[in-house]
Amino acid sequence: MSDHAVAHTADSGHDHEEHHSHGQTYFMVFCALCVFTVMSIGADFLQMSNKNVLRAIILAVATSKALCVMMYFMHLKFEKAWKYLLLAPTFILAATIPLSLIPDIGTHYYTVDVPQRYEYEAQEAAKKSGQVPVKAEHH
Amino acid sequence: MTHTTPAPALKMGLPITNSKLGMWLFLGTEIMFFSAFIGTYIVLRMGSPGWPTDVHVTHIQIFWGGLNTFVLILSSYFVVVSHDALLCKQYRKAWNFMLATLLLGFLFLGIKGIEYTGKFAYDILPGHIPESDGQAMDKVVRQFSGIVDGRYAAMYPRLTKREDQKSENDAVIAKLKDKADVTVVEKTELAAAEAMSQLHSEHISLKEHVRANLSLSVPYASFDAIRKEENAPSKYATLTLPEVEKKVHELNESKTLGPLMGGLHVSQPILYGNLFASNYFLMTGFHAIHVIVGLIMFALVLKKGSRLCVDDAYLIENIGLYWHFVDLVWIFLFPLIYII
Repeated sequence: MSDHAVAHTADSGHDHEEHHSHGQTYFMVFCALCVFTVMSIGADFLQMSNKNVLRAIILAVATSKALCVMMYFMHLKFEKAWKYLLLAPTFILAATIPLSLIPDIGTHYYTVDVPQRYEYEAQEAAKKSGQVPVKAEHH
Repeated sequence: MTHTTPAPALKMGLPITNSKLGMWLFLGTEIMFFSAFIGTYIVLRMGSPGWPTDVHVTHIQIFWGGLNTFVLILSSYFVVVSHDALLCKQYRKAWNFMLATLLLGFLFLGIKGIEYTGKFAYDILPGHIPESDGQAMDKVVRQFSGIVDGRYAAMYPRLTKREDQKSENDAVIAKLKDKADVTVVEKTELAAAEAMSQLHSEHISLKEHVRANLSLSVPYASFDAIRKEENAPSKYATLTLPEVEKKVHELNESKTLGPLMGGLHVSQPILYGNLFASNYFLMTGFHAIHVIVGLIMFALVLKKGSRLCVDDAYLIENIGLYWHFVDLVWIFLFPLIYII
């Protein structure tokens, strides 16, 4: 029980006597999240020729949504500097696996020798010469 | 049980409660956990030209994904409203919004279930997807073999080996064919045994054609002779997937064999389909497990009923942090899996 007493003094966010509802802010954030979701679904319907632009837009929208959730719903906007202390090492370590895999799997100077590559190249060649292989609908 | 000792806690390095620190440290490990999955997915995809993106092939439906995104966002919003209401001492409201969150969590899992059912129905499962025409032919032969086994097992449940079942079936045919006065029941039995025998030989023929990679236009009966020829393989046409598809279609349409075929169909090869399926199930599966854990926590809080009080705000805040994290993961999974 002493923990609770401690908590009351330590966390000003839970000053029960003087709590003012943040309902309006939360609702605005919720609306923003909905708009972002509609935007990312809408982007899917845009027949963009450059897929990279589409990917950049969609990931930017996702990051904006994540920031909204973290800043307001998870209260990080109102937290003190401990958030950096705790989250910075986490993000660095989280980036390690993808970054360490990129040189080997994502980008490499050598040609990967997998059967799938030959299938893909055959398909691409067929597309280029205008003989698109007719594939039956997958059931 | 004393409320008068706040001093020791001020020695804490961080100005937050122990429970909240614990939750944030846990979320730190969770961030690493999920970014390993998401990161490897992105890297694998970058390194695999021809990754399946066609929705007719992957059976990824943006509608269900989008709906689930909305469901999770709404549930996240309800958690903060519940926490806010609790701090304003509106306990009933807090409880109601917590219940709504729980129901939305179940709705999320239900929609996920619909998606998973589709994946199972189309056999979009790791290790089940042919990635080339050859693998597609091997798969259909294996499925055909399973069907033959199933039919034999239904007809001769006491025999376990296929050879025994086949000889028993042949014996039945021989016995009834020679019989002078066959009853109606025996006539049906003979027809079934003959159909079974035909099904078996169709399976063997297809299997051997696939194994020898010879076109179906080359009769199976001539295989022995062909094997003895010199440079035999180069003289004959090779087997193609459309040929196999046509054959399977014919068998399905056949009056006698159609009912025995069990709806066999040829799976289309999907380049990198297995890698795709592994990634899909790993990411969405672990996410779904997190949703289930969140629901258990909500249920425990809801169990308090009218005993819910302002002191529970810490608990709900921590559960809320966890739930928002689950939402956060989905915010990235949705565009990465469903849109890009």
